[in-house]
Amino acid sequence: MKMNQTINKSTKFRVLSDDQIEQIFYAALEVLERTGGMIYHEEALELFRDSHAVVKGNHVRVPPYMIEEALNFYPRKITLRGRNNVRSLHIQKDTVTFGTGSDLPFTHDRKTGERRRTTYQDVTNAAKLVDALSHYDFFMSHGIVGDAPNPQTYDRHQFMAMLEGCTKPMVLTSVDGEGLEDLWKMGCLVQGGEEEFRLNPLFVAYIEPISPLKNDKTAVEKLLFAAKKKLPAMYTPCPSSGATAPATIAGMLVQSLAETLMAVVLCHLKSPGTPLIMGGVTTLLDMKYSTYSYGAPELSLASAANTDISKWLNLLMFSTGGCTDSKILDEQAAAEQMMNLFYSYLSGANLIHDVGYMDHGTNASLESLVMNEEMMGMVKAFGKGINTDDDHLALELIEKIGPAGEYVTSGHTFDHWKEWFMPKLQDRSDYETWKQNGSKTMLDRVKERTQHLLDTYEPEPLDEKLKKELKEIASAADARHS
Amino acid sequence: MDLSNISETLIAGKADELRKMVEEGVKENINPADILNQGLLPGMDAVGKKWKAGDMFMPEVLRSAKAMSISMDFLRPLLKDDDVGNAGTMIIGTVAGDLHDIGKDLAAMMFEGAGYNVINIGIDQSNENFVDAVKEHKCNLLGMSALLTTTMPRMGEVINSLKEAGIRDQVTVIIGGAPVTEEFAREIGADLYAPNAGSAVDITREYLQNKN
Repeated sequence: MKMNQTINKSTKFRVLSDDQIEQIFYAALEVLERTGGMIYHEEALELFRDSHAVVKGNHVRVPPYMIEEALNFYPRKITLRGRNNVRSLHIQKDTVTFGTGSDLPFTHDRKTGERRRTTYQDVTNAAKLVDALSHYDFFMSHGIVGDAPNPQTYDRHQFMAMLEGCTKPMVLTSVDGEGLEDLWKMGCLVQGGEEEFRLNPLFVAYIEPISPLKNDKTAVEKLLFAAKKKLPAMYTPCPSSGATAPATIAGMLVQSLAETLMAVVLCHLKSPGTPLIMGGVTTLLDMKYSTYSYGAPELSLASAANTDISKWLNLLMFSTGGCTDSKILDEQAAAEQMMNLFYSYLSGANLIHDVGYMDHGTNASLESLVMNEEMMGMVKAFGKGINTDDDHLALELIEKIGPAGEYVTSGHTFDHWKEWFMPKLQDRSDYETWKQNGSKTMLDRVKERTQHLLDTYEPEPLDEKLKKELKEIASAADARHS
Repeated sequence: MDLSNISETLIAGKADELRKMVEEGVKENINPADILNQGLLPGMDAVGKKWKAGDMFMPEVLRSAKAMSISMDFLRPLLKDDDVGNAGTMIIGTVAGDLHDIGKDLAAMMFEGAGYNVINIGIDQSNENFVDAVKEHKCNLLGMSALLTTTMPRMGEVINSLKEAGIRDQVTVIIGGAPVTEEFAREIGADLYAPNAGSAVDITREYLQNKN
């Protein structure tokens, strides 16, 4: 019997110590007490006025005890069910899931190689790929339905496009509170009613403040609706270090956390127990081109640190990975996507989104989604860590094979080699074979696989009656906004 | 006074020092237009060139732009309307429904640095507010931005409102924002599109030079 053993069942990675997290937490409390935030929503201001918060016009300052109290009420587990009826998305501490990002206005056209506006069909195609590829656990729209009849109701149409192609759980953006209510109604139809939806939510509502410390009307509307219906939601600050947040990562994390905690208090005032998820796309403003960088190494570092903070607070975390600033799927894209995918995974964030994002969050690419599938597989293989039980130490086997033996034909190899990562796109062939097979590059293989999946994969179709009912909600919204 | 010292101080982004130098220059009876044309503008030109060459970055460029703006606040009332380099007045704002303002603010600072009297009307501005501001300030340049695809069409509405008010020809309209493209700018009848805050000033300058 061995005593006092520590076995690492996975690899371990952490950026911040507990003491550093405390420093950041206290600083964020100080920000909310001293600097406060702006709220542009009457009901929210009323809720704050009726509390111990100090409200002057749109400016709200919050004493720390309100935040500490509110933090006690957030759920530590949220489970989503896709329209495939599988409760597949377990959002809970140290469980990592991957998904796409959403609403990219442009798309890399696979035929012309040019950039163009994203359409409904592009979103459905992305949905199909995410449904087909096993490492994607949830779906965000990837692109935005630029051909929707009215930008003010695009979200309902986008949800339709997503549902047509994908049966997995989702994260949805919405135009405003009214839009989110329609999406929720559509979700309830899919899940079989409001009560079923409550136990088996289909999606999480994506909501974001505007850094620094601004909460616009539509964002607050959505938060309050989510709180009212206990709809899972995430509040995701997108600070750009050096422009809308301090140029230091620590300062950005403080401000980002303060922005999150403002929502934590607001949802608590509205309705304790709101399934609110912490978030953050914490990165920098490139000082040469004034772009919000999705490929900067600082994004990986700040995101991993933010995940450390979320665990310390017992909040669930929506993080970022698999994204790049590169305009096309090239060497830069591979390097950046791999780096932020890898560290977001190691950090143990619960939902890692923006996988496949191109051109600092403006360009969609189906091929990027497919290439990331391979990279997610590689990352997961690393995260498995190393099993050191007797079978895996293989002492008996080494003795049996002996010096000068071979392992290829042993039963042990036959049993265990399947634990390895099996590449689908990586080429490990020898030179002559590679040449005979057409000297293909990674991008050639990615393109072929993308086309193959689009040609052959058929997602479980949406029930026709359900589809009609969903469309009615979208049409009614169009009529209201015409 | 050696006006090239003014250029150097501007490039270094030392706002207080620059303002003092400009005030002293005026006290020494140097023509304000000369201070502008031989001191400040060559300084900003050098900043622009250094930036393009990758020798200066946004925080440094904006410090110079801020220094320029503070000195221009003092110098502008002393300039004659037809002084070369008196670029005019710009209205800039974010359209209704959009509270994102970092890109617009960066652009505003760059235009201030180029010698414009920039009136930043802020975020979430209605079509009427844009039209009223253009009228009130008799500006010759209007800048608009939108970050959201949902608010992007509002920029076209503002342009239509300018037409209805009969003042469309008074202003050059430049637009920007992450989802905005040159093609979109053409569609809604804007004169200019800038892909980022940094290039906006050059694009405007080139357009106005060709126009005149």
